[in-house]
Amino acid sequence: MVESTVQALRRISLFADLSDDALIRIARVARSQTYVPGEVITIRGEPCRAAYFIAEGQVRVYRLSPGGREQVLVQLGPGQAFNMVPLFKPHGANHATVEALTPVTLYAITCKDLHRLVGECPELALALLRDFASRLDHLTNLVEDLSLRTVRGRLARFLLEHGETNAITRRWTQEEIAAHLGTVRDMVGRTLRAFADAGLVRMDRQRIVLLDREGLEAEAQR
Amino acid sequence: MEGWALPEINLQQCNQCGACVEQCPTGAVEMGPEGPFIARPSDCTYCALCETLCPQGAITCPYEIVWGTDGP
Repeated sequence: MVESTVQALRRISLFADLSDDALIRIARVARSQTYVPGEVITIRGEPCRAAYFIAEGQVRVYRLSPGGREQVLVQLGPGQAFNMVPLFKPHGANHATVEALTPVTLYAITCKDLHRLVGECPELALALLRDFASRLDHLTNLVEDLSLRTVRGRLARFLLEHGETNAITRRWTQEEIAAHLGTVRDMVGRTLRAFADAGLVRMDRQRIVLLDREGLEAEAQR
Repeated sequence: MEGWALPEINLQQCNQCGACVEQCPTGAVEMGPEGPFIARPSDCTYCALCETLCPQGAITCPYEIVWGTDGP
């Protein structure tokens, strides 16, 4: 049982470089949990009880504005972790709501167990610090986007980041795009039409076809 | 019609208010015994108005984001 958990934990990037000894310690306390699409895993503001490490599936991490509008902070997949920050604060509460987008299997480690493990395994503490550094990077970029770029700029950057060439890995509703950009659906629709009028994209039924990379990159600087 | 995308209607979320049927600009949507459905797929222009006006959030019009001739 512990051996199979060790194998699964090794596939989680945060744990990939840890020694067998550290992984066995983690495997002894990690609890496997499964969720169906749409199921809420953590709710913002509730007491933080555990950190979660995704083995399979995709989740989205979001907050709701007082008006009920979603701001997606990040989408996470296999090998990634969430609910780590409040875990290290006294009486920490969940920072965001996390919902399964697909069938999800994850490992939960309680606050108490993780605190003990960090004390016992310096290599785990270092791995967690690397993860925190990466999260800080992401959030800094998000703050920059929200405060310094216009919706046109944010949408152009979003399209450049998510434009696909071969297999389609996912489809986006305008509502979902709006949530990622920190705006509302109507703004996304209007801006897409403006981009189409400018020849940057073509709305081809269920496809947003990106036509002008340089033009979109120029918009992304706005 | 193969590969012809249509709005996706989640009948479990739908409360059969009929807004999509009444306001579809091309009259492509009809109400059936189970709920609304795209009765005339060739008339649907994928304008996504039904997604906007559905009060239950039961209709979605997802898009693929793909590169055209200019490449990535």
